[in-house]
Amino acid sequence: MYSRLSIFMSLGILVLSLSALPASAHHGWSGNFDEEFELTGTVESGVSLAGPHATMKVRADGKVWDITLAPPARTERAGLKEGIIPIGATVTIHGHRNRDAKRLEIKTERVIWNGRTFNVYPDRT
Amino acid sequence: MAWLEGSALGHLMRESGVWTYGCVNLVHILGVASLFGAVLVLDLRLLGFWRKVALSAISEPTVRVAATGFIVAVLSGICLLATKATEYVDNPFLYIKFPAIGLGLLNVVALNSLSAWKQHKVREPSSRERSKLAVIGGISLFCWLTAITAGRMIGYW
Repeated sequence: MYSRLSIFMSLGILVLSLSALPASAHHGWSGNFDEEFELTGTVESGVSLAGPHATMKVRADGKVWDITLAPPARTERAGLKEGIIPIGATVTIHGHRNRDAKRLEIKTERVIWNGRTFNVYPDRT
Repeated sequence: MAWLEGSALGHLMRESGVWTYGCVNLVHILGVASLFGAVLVLDLRLLGFWRKVALSAISEPTVRVAATGFIVAVLSGICLLATKATEYVDNPFLYIKFPAIGLGLLNVVALNSLSAWKQHKVREPSSRERSKLAVIGGISLFCWLTAITAGRMIGYW
């Protein structure tokens, strides 16, 4: 039946498009390398607690890295509020680098500044 | 995009608390759910399901719920986009989602131009007109499913 055929075709296209998904970066960790990655640099732009994920930018060796933190509420619970770390301060970022070599992005577990550790994902090592 | 991010709306989204994005995202999901739920029922009827139920009995509530859901989704969607608009510039799913929405809207225009649709409250469509309506229903399902799929994947890029 023609009408049923259209529905099965639509469903088929949906299933195909879902199976062709790229590795997730924003919502998961699979878009980032498994190895731990550490970066030390200076704060280029401070923590922004705006969704979907809190962010900051860090300059190291003349390059600006995108630091992806936890969702805003979780980042704030870890004590990492906006304005706490001043711009230009030296920070160490601990997390996982994006698998795409062209993207200077770190999905972050911890931010270390001035002897303080902000553990935005304490359940991850 | 830079303009949208720098707009008053962008500032409001970023500076009104850590739960703002989550709450607006919830409104967006409710809008999309209303739109797609209503569209699904109407499209399946156009494709030939539930012939015993008069098309006018289904079109009345579904078109209203879908239109309301669409407006809610668009308004909340602009807010979500404004939060960090420049980050989405090279997200390929955006370039699948918006054309799919555009095609879905063109399909609505096409439906409204059919005399079988214009007169569906006063007369039954002929069998030829029924197939035309079914094609429109199929295209509609395809467009909105594509838009929703691509929309969901934006965050996973």
